[in-house]
Parts: sequence; C-alpha cells; structure tokens
Amino acid sequence: MTAIIETVGLGRRYGDVRAVDDVTFAVEEGSVCGLLGRNGAGKTTLLQLLTGQEFATHGEARVFGEAPLENPRVLGRTCFVKESQTYPDPVKGRHVLRAAAWSFPGWDAAYAARLARELAVPLDRRMKKLSRGQRSAIGVIVGLASRAELTLFDEPYAGLDAVARRLFYDLLVEDLAAHPRTVMMSTHLIDEASHLLDRVVVIDAGRILIDESADALRGTAVTVVGRSDDVDAFASGRDVLRRERIGGIASATVAGVDDAGRAAALAAGLELAPVSLQELVVARTGGRREEEGS
Amino acid sequence: MTAIAYPPVSRRVLNGARVHAANPWTTLGLPWVILVAVFGLTYSIWRIVAWAAGGVGELDADAFRYAGGVTWILGYMVTVSAQAMNQTFRFAMGLSQTRRDYFAGTCLYFLGASAGYALGIAVLAAAERATDGWGVHGAFFAPAFLFDVPLWQVAWFFFGLMMLTLAIGIAAGAVFVRWRATGLVTMLLTIGVLAVGGAFLLTWADAWGPVGSFFVDTSVAVLVAWTLPVTALAVGAGYALLSRATVRD
Repeated sequence: MTAIIETVGLGRRYGDVRAVDDVTFAVEEGSVCGLLGRNGAGKTTLLQLLTGQEFATHGEARVFGEAPLENPRVLGRTCFVKESQTYPDPVKGRHVLRAAAWSFPGWDAAYAARLARELAVPLDRRMKKLSRGQRSAIGVIVGLASRAELTLFDEPYAGLDAVARRLFYDLLVEDLAAHPRTVMMSTHLIDEASHLLDRVVVIDAGRILIDESADALRGTAVTVVGRSDDVDAFASGRDVLRRERIGGIASATVAGVDDAGRAAALAAGLELAPVSLQELVVARTGGRREEEGS
Repeated sequence: MTAIAYPPVSRRVLNGARVHAANPWTTLGLPWVILVAVFGLTYSIWRIVAWAAGGVGELDADAFRYAGGVTWILGYMVTVSAQAMNQTFRFAMGLSQTRRDYFAGTCLYFLGASAGYALGIAVLAAAERATDGWGVHGAFFAPAFLFDVPLWQVAWFFFGLMMLTLAIGIAAGAVFVRWRATGLVTMLLTIGVLAVGGAFLLTWADAWGPVGSFFVDTSVAVLVAWTLPVTALAVGAGYALLSRATVRD
C-alpha cells in the first residue's frame, strides 16, 4: 500500500490560534478515512491544507507524493467537497454539474444525472435559493461523480435528512466497490458513518488525538458493568473514558482492553458491552471532563 | 485505481475562464443593456434640444459632439471584473483549480471581453458616422477627440481603456477576496492620498503645463499605448495578491 496523503508536523496558525498543530499522519491508497472532531477542532483547515486552499505555517503535506499548493498534478486528481462551498449568484445546479464535468477528468455525466434523480435535487434552480440540504446534495453528486482518485468531503451531508444520508452512505459504498479510490471525510454523525470507515483520525484543538484503524479502535474499548468494587478493581490502572455509578452497580468504559483483559473482566464477573465509535470519540474529546465535573 | 492524466495547461486556463462564462450576463450582457439605455436617453435629449431650437439645422455642427455617456461603460468595468473575481474565486477553488490557472483564465476572459466591447463600440461608431450622427450630428460612441480619428483608433481606444479598467477591477477584486471590505477601503484611501500627493507635487513643481501639453500633443493611439504598462502593473498586483488568498469567510 502506498500513502496518498502524508503530512509531517503540519500546522496552520492564525496569530496565537493553532488551528492545525503538528499534525503527522498518512492515508493509504484505497482507504476510507474518517476525520472526526468537535466544531472548531481544525477539520476544515486540515482539509484545506491538503488541497492547497490554505497555507501551512509549519511542516508539510504531501498528496500523491507532492506538495498540493498550486499544484495542478495534485489538484487535478483531487475533488474537495465542502459544506461551506459558495457559488456565484446566478449559478444553478446544472451549471455546477457542467462546471464539474470540465473540471474533473474522471467525471461520469450519466452517473451524475442518475444521482440527481435519486437524491431528487432540483437542478434548474439557483444554488442560492436551494435549502442547505439541497446544496449539500449537489456537493455529494459532485464528490461522487467526479470519481477523483482522492475525494475529500467536509461535512458532506449537512442539512440532509436521514433518508438522503442513508442513500449517500449506500451510494458511496456501492460506487467505491465499482471504482476504488481514496476518500477522506469529516463528519459529526460518527455512528451513522462508522461502518464506512477503514481508518479514524480524531482531531482536537488542532492536534491528532487518535489515528487508528476503525476495527482496532472499536475492538479495544469496552464498557464493563458489575458490582462497584469489581469494576473499580478492573479499571484501576487502565485508561478509563467514562464511569457511572448507581447504588452498588457501576459501569466503566475502558480503552485499550486486549483479549487477556476481556478474559480478566469476565473472570471477575463483569459484563462486557461494546462501545460505539461515537461514544469513544466523545469520551476522548471532552466527554470525560464533563463526566468528572458532574 | 486507474491513474487519470491531469489536464494540460491550455485546458486548465480555459477552465479558469469558463467559471466566468457560467453566468455571462453581468460581464457581457448587462453593460450593453445599460450602454444602449444611456444612448437612448442621450439621443432623446438631443432630439428635445433640436426641437426646441427649431430643428437640427439651427444648431452648431458640433453641438452634440461632446456627450460623455460612452465613458460610463469604462467606469462600470471596474465593478464588473472586481465583482466577477469575488463571485468566482471560491467556486474555482472548489473545482480544484489552482489560483494561477484561475487567474490566467480570468485575464483571458476579460481580454476577450475587452476586444468584444471595443469591436462592438467601433461598429456602432461606424454606424454613427454613416448616419451623420444618428441624423442629429450627434457623437455618442466616438465623441470629442474621437470624432475625427480613424475607426481603428476608436476601437484601439476602447480596447486599451477597457483592459485598463478591467485590470484595475481585477486588482480591486483580488484585494477584496484577500482582505474583504477593510482591504478595499484601505486601497481606495491609499490611491486617494497618492493622487492628492501627486497633484501637490505637480503644483509645487509648477509642472501642470508640461503635463497638459503632453495630453494635448500626444495622439490618441499613443496615449492609449501609455495605459498598457499601467494595465500590466494592475494585473501583476492582482496576481501577487490573489496568489496568497484563501477561501476563509
């Protein structure tokens, strides 16, 4: 496997604010990478750095082995769809698709037309007049039909309803199977999207907090439930993400539990429950502090 | 994964121009509509004046030779290109264009627009001359010092000045894309201070005479040629500014 995206110590500061700080990570060819984090964590800035839309103040980014800034060899193979995309005033959906057709070498016009029907987007109305969800749907069409070797989605389905979001996940899975490519996607709807993700990168306050395969991440965290004493005994010395106590019964969400750890928990009479990716990310990016404060 | 070749530079620059063509109305349509409207108003006033004077024959031959309405389109071009930059830059970035290709395409688009406008106005000036000033000895499309120069000079005049005003708009648009309203206000104030400072220097050096005679003695064609370095400077400044611009809100 080769890395499509590689960064070393990548950073973007605005004055004292470190929007992206010392980010080093890689995305393998053909994988789907989820970029997770809270609002203002630096997700959009990171994606903009990877597409040359923003200027790095520290470190470097390599995409397809080259610096992306003002680099048509990189950008010509990349499609970046962002929620905050703006359009010229009188431009309609069909103009956007036409512009995408001559911008992206891999564009599939028939597929774009099919997506427009499936997502029920009005193409003959000005982008300005569309709802947020409809604008997002057009972005989704551009992202999928461009068939770019590297596709970056920033909050691709903001404003889309649950049905349309589900449709997007299904379409993405289906199209990636037929046309494998590398996808990086930022999202807040972690559990919804988690089945798509091969890899999870969690960013908090500009820094990378988690960079692991989705399976490993899900597999290593468990919630143990049982008598308080037993739970405390098991949890002591471990990475506890969250703790709850009701009477004599307690539960603890613990990260980094291997097979031996699981066996130990079962032997201690504890029940094991899986932890969703969302719980894990929430716990790691601020949920723990709230828990301790309450 | 099939590797797809990225587009060649000609195609990329063309794409930079095409984001403007996505809606050609404000850059290529509206200015003509307003120019024709201004002409219509001017022509009506000529008719009223001629009627009040008791007929066109009662007026001096050059009575309607100094209408300035056509210069309006030149001033308007500054907003046309500035606004076009502001509208399309983020869109172009969203289409994976580099700033360089987008900027080159933008210049190409407005170069073509300048040629189109210059040609169109020259054709209208030819019609004006052929109809003896629309039947009232009027000079709207080639007024004042353009009245008796050859048509190619009329076209050259509008081509050169159109490029100048569009280039100033491109620079202003780049300032706006980069620093929004704050940048634009700062730029206008700076230009104002420089203009007043220049006027002061000319007055102090008692140099208004030579400046005036330069404009009187130099032919239209050569004067227009003098705008080219200024145009190039504005384009260069525009690129220098845009090449560091981001799509931040």
